[in-house]
Amino acid sequence: MMLGLIMAIIAGSLVGIQNIFNSKVSERAGSWPTTTLVLAMGFLASLTMGLIFEGKELFNLENMKLWYWFSGLIGVGVVTCMVRGIRLLGPTYSIMIVMTAQLAFALLWDSLGWLGLDKVPFTSKQLIGVLVIVGGIIVFKIGGRPEKQKASVKV
Amino acid sequence: MKGIIFALLGGAFITLQGVANARISQDIGTWQAATITQLTGFIVAFIILMFVKERGEWKKFKQVNPLYMLGGAFAAIIIFSNVTAIQHIGVTLSISAIMIAQLSITFIIDINGWFGLDRKKMRAPQFIGIGLMIAGVVILGF
Repeated sequence: MMLGLIMAIIAGSLVGIQNIFNSKVSERAGSWPTTTLVLAMGFLASLTMGLIFEGKELFNLENMKLWYWFSGLIGVGVVTCMVRGIRLLGPTYSIMIVMTAQLAFALLWDSLGWLGLDKVPFTSKQLIGVLVIVGGIIVFKIGGRPEKQKASVKV
Repeated sequence: MKGIIFALLGGAFITLQGVANARISQDIGTWQAATITQLTGFIVAFIILMFVKERGEWKKFKQVNPLYMLGGAFAAIIIFSNVTAIQHIGVTLSISAIMIAQLSITFIIDINGWFGLDRKKMRAPQFIGIGLMIAGVVILGF
């Protein structure tokens, strides 16, 4: 439990910092050059870490399934939808909707256990927890904060 | 309306990405999953880049502080911790904790004006918002 939470906090903090860095790059170089650069960096870093921790084993892809090769497309979908959503709705409202959708789909995923992950049964406790979080997101995002917030939003 | 659909899909894709990475990691290992998703994502983005008007803009990378260009490298650790979190505590709790950490760190950076951002004042609604979100995670997790 604790390990999972700590890992999630590390991931979230790095995502926050990365978004700021990425938006700094895209201010100058535009969104597609930035997306390409970000993914290139991610690839080089993952490859390096993989080689450090696993050596040659990194290239042992015995259980590889065909669709795994296409999973990287999801990331391209994320960037495209975020950029267009933010352009059409502005950062505050689009991020609010993105976060709510993230949670709703997470809840759906846990309760259905799709793709062979452990099922987490859907309970009223879970629903209440998610609703309280969504309430928090709404208060955070539209509670009297200046609209200018671009730096914190791009994925 | 179109904007709302893009935002909804964006959120769905973010969750799907975490879940897909967790699934792929079970079969081939986490570093392998991170390497493959970033490589294939890069190839697709690069192909798209060749067809958009922005393609000449990469020359402007030279004007960017090199530190900011390294942001993408965080993905290795992000994917690793995201996958480990989902495997230990499930999708909903992981995504909730990730979002809170992300909003909090952005908030702290905004307040202090780090990385050359405009400094912003702290306001009550942001603290109440983060408080509510943490309360939600406590309800989810305990």
